[in-house]
Amino acid sequence: MSASEPVIGIDLGTTNSVVATVQDGVPRVIPGRSGQLLTPSVVAFARNGKRLVGALAKRQAITNAEDTVFAAKRLIGRRWGSKEIEDARRVLPYRLVAGPEGHDVRVELGGRTLTVQEISAMVLAELRADAEAWLGQPVSRAVITVPAYFNDGQRHATKDAGRIAGLEVLRIINEPTSAALAYGFGKQIERKVVVFDLGGGTFDVSVLDIGKSVYDVVAVGGDTYLGGEDFDRRVMDWLTFGFAKENGGIDLRQDKMALQRLRDAAERAKCELSSLPSTAIHLPFLVGGGEGKSALHLDRQLSREKLEELTKDLVDRCIAVTERTLRDAGVRPSQVGEVLLVGGMTRMPRVQQAVREFFGREPCRGVHPEEVVALGAAIQAQALSAPHAGAEVLLLDVTPQNLGLMVVGGYFQTVIPRNTTVPTSQTHLFTTVQDNQTSVRIAVLQGASERAIENELLGEFVLDGIRPARRGEVEIEVTFEISADGIVGVSARDVATGLQQSISVTATSGLTEDEMRHILDEQIDELLERKQTAREFEARRDRVLALVREIEALGPEVHDALERTRFGKDAVLKAEGVLARARTAVEARDLAALAAEEEPLERTLQLFKGLAATARPGAR
Amino acid sequence: MADVSELIDRGIKAYVAGRVGEALRSFQQALERDPGNPKARSYLSLLGGGMPGGATAEPVPLPPPAAAPGHSPWDALPAAAEIIELELDPEGGLDLDAVAEKSDIRPLVPAKFAPGESPGGRDVEVWMQAARELFALGDFTGSLELIEKILQVDPDHREAREYLRQNEATLIAMYESKLGPLGGVPRLAIKPEEIMWLNLDHRAGFLLAQIDGFVDYEALFALSGLPRLDTARILANLIADGVITA
Repeated sequence: MSASEPVIGIDLGTTNSVVATVQDGVPRVIPGRSGQLLTPSVVAFARNGKRLVGALAKRQAITNAEDTVFAAKRLIGRRWGSKEIEDARRVLPYRLVAGPEGHDVRVELGGRTLTVQEISAMVLAELRADAEAWLGQPVSRAVITVPAYFNDGQRHATKDAGRIAGLEVLRIINEPTSAALAYGFGKQIERKVVVFDLGGGTFDVSVLDIGKSVYDVVAVGGDTYLGGEDFDRRVMDWLTFGFAKENGGIDLRQDKMALQRLRDAAERAKCELSSLPSTAIHLPFLVGGGEGKSALHLDRQLSREKLEELTKDLVDRCIAVTERTLRDAGVRPSQVGEVLLVGGMTRMPRVQQAVREFFGREPCRGVHPEEVVALGAAIQAQALSAPHAGAEVLLLDVTPQNLGLMVVGGYFQTVIPRNTTVPTSQTHLFTTVQDNQTSVRIAVLQGASERAIENELLGEFVLDGIRPARRGEVEIEVTFEISADGIVGVSARDVATGLQQSISVTATSGLTEDEMRHILDEQIDELLERKQTAREFEARRDRVLALVREIEALGPEVHDALERTRFGKDAVLKAEGVLARARTAVEARDLAALAAEEEPLERTLQLFKGLAATARPGAR
Repeated sequence: MADVSELIDRGIKAYVAGRVGEALRSFQQALERDPGNPKARSYLSLLGGGMPGGATAEPVPLPPPAAAPGHSPWDALPAAAEIIELELDPEGGLDLDAVAEKSDIRPLVPAKFAPGESPGGRDVEVWMQAARELFALGDFTGSLELIEKILQVDPDHREAREYLRQNEATLIAMYESKLGPLGGVPRLAIKPEEIMWLNLDHRAGFLLAQIDGFVDYEALFALSGLPRLDTARILANLIADGVITA
């Protein structure tokens, strides 16, 4: 890595991802190699064995549902058996399995079992490759954004995904913080800012206090199953039922190809209706018409008004969540100095209107909703890579969830409440629950539920050697500390004896260091294999091209010989077929195809040599 | 007037389409013109049709042993080390049929199954025979249709499986050769509003919807979700019909 090597910021989204950088002091989004600014966070193994990432993977997501992984962000860093994973298993078409230790989640894809980190790494690697292609130099350092509610395990897993993608992750930052950073870039701002982030799959609302380059997330809320895809689904349902009504009950949902086109069309129509009052949805030859009948077309006109009617409850849900989050934070809408709209869905005029009505003010129009998070990440990456180059931006992050321990009855006792600014430290006094109790188990948990079992277990330890006494007489002081790096330290001390035990909980992503090393080693092996394959390809290509040249050189003589036969064209056609396939294999860099063509080329050459000999003077 | 080979071809096609009577007539006409034609005699015998003069049908010469897997029959030209003795036909030209025979140009699967291996069934044998013939005549689609029919009855039919692979490989190569380089990007050659007036099935409609001026052929194969042969066939037809440009 050289000092001048560029750094990137990545918005690794549930539905789409974006990569950005700062160039000549200006943050800008990096377009993909096919020109797109957004890369769908979708990975697939297509039926032809090809690995697809991004737009192509998305475009076959329904027709190849079992081997297409989307929304990996919902799974990353989650524990097997958790409610989120159980929910995901019910709705996701691809197969999830438990990791070898039974704790984390793995995905079955293309006949392999992969960690979620590896899946996310494929998306990150694609973005990295896009950045390298655009910048024209290697990129190895990045800042990646995650939702503010991500726990330590999820953050750590995202970092691991970055490592697998060959990136040194300079920092993981919260998405709303990142959006606010981009919004505040180059400005002096001191106000409360609400980030209203309605993305493809999730809705997040965050309240930030910005003052003198300090970005403090004071509250986060949201709905992890509310996003643009729900809006698309409403349009799809409307189209499906309308089609069934007009075509004798034909259910388009039974046909994967039709459904894929329907989804693409619904999304496109929804986007168009952000700027047009009405749009035509035209899908010719959408589904077979039945035995001996022509394929059927779908033709419908969708108005913005109709779209708003179909999705009214979804917009209402966004506002209800926003209201609850502000109430939790003790912030009135009128106290909000700015509302940032983030995520493609906020382009919808009805969403903007609802936000305007709720806050009683125009939302900010100075930020690009789909790019702003990545731009903020790029700004932070730049600040971290060249700390003396400009004004330091101080990011104050908060604990995403309540942190505490399990108490009698299986309940969860919060010690550090969510939204507490880190680093922080809190001490609580507890006591024994049984007479002559000599030990106590401290189970450190993170989560929002009152029931301990429903929260995430971060670690546990036992404090023993407590002096025997009647219950309630022994005081145990428990201290929770969270460092700026997010490491949670918990200590328990018998106040009377001074006896102490402690634990340091470093977030784990579900991957052990051994597994991580194994994955990284595998990548090196793959790289070496690719190099080896490239060498083999070049050697074969040279041999094949030499044969092609030799055959082509014999062409005129063979042509002369074949002029005198009834079957000439047939032989030439066959030879041309062989030559065409050889050239295609060279162009496609297809080693297997190239290997398969070598022998037919040899045979063709021998045949041509024989034919050419008959055309020479004195041959007959 | 149709020549003998055309009549045989017509007979096979009629049989494939289920028009057995027409098939019988075609083979009989072929035999009338060329009473000794072994192919026509063999087909008539297989179909149970009478032969002029009550002659007994001789089986059609069967193809030589199987080619190595992965080779199209087009590719099976003479081995590099072989010295080919080219025969001149009476008119002075090269008899490429002779070259073909010597050069192992149509290497297929073993001609006969070992006892007990045969799938059995008169229909299957007739279909198989027709599939071999159609293959030899270069009608790979017709041959494939018959092979698929056989495999529905007998999924383990070894020869049919081999023909299936050969037919598919040949057809894929043929269709792909119409597409040009697989890294090429196809484009719509007609106005979008004219698509409605085409005669497509929903699979072609799906593939056509994926052609956006950015996606190359290789990506279309990945996107289609269809077997490679079907995708190649649809794309080649779209090119042939002038709907897309290669």
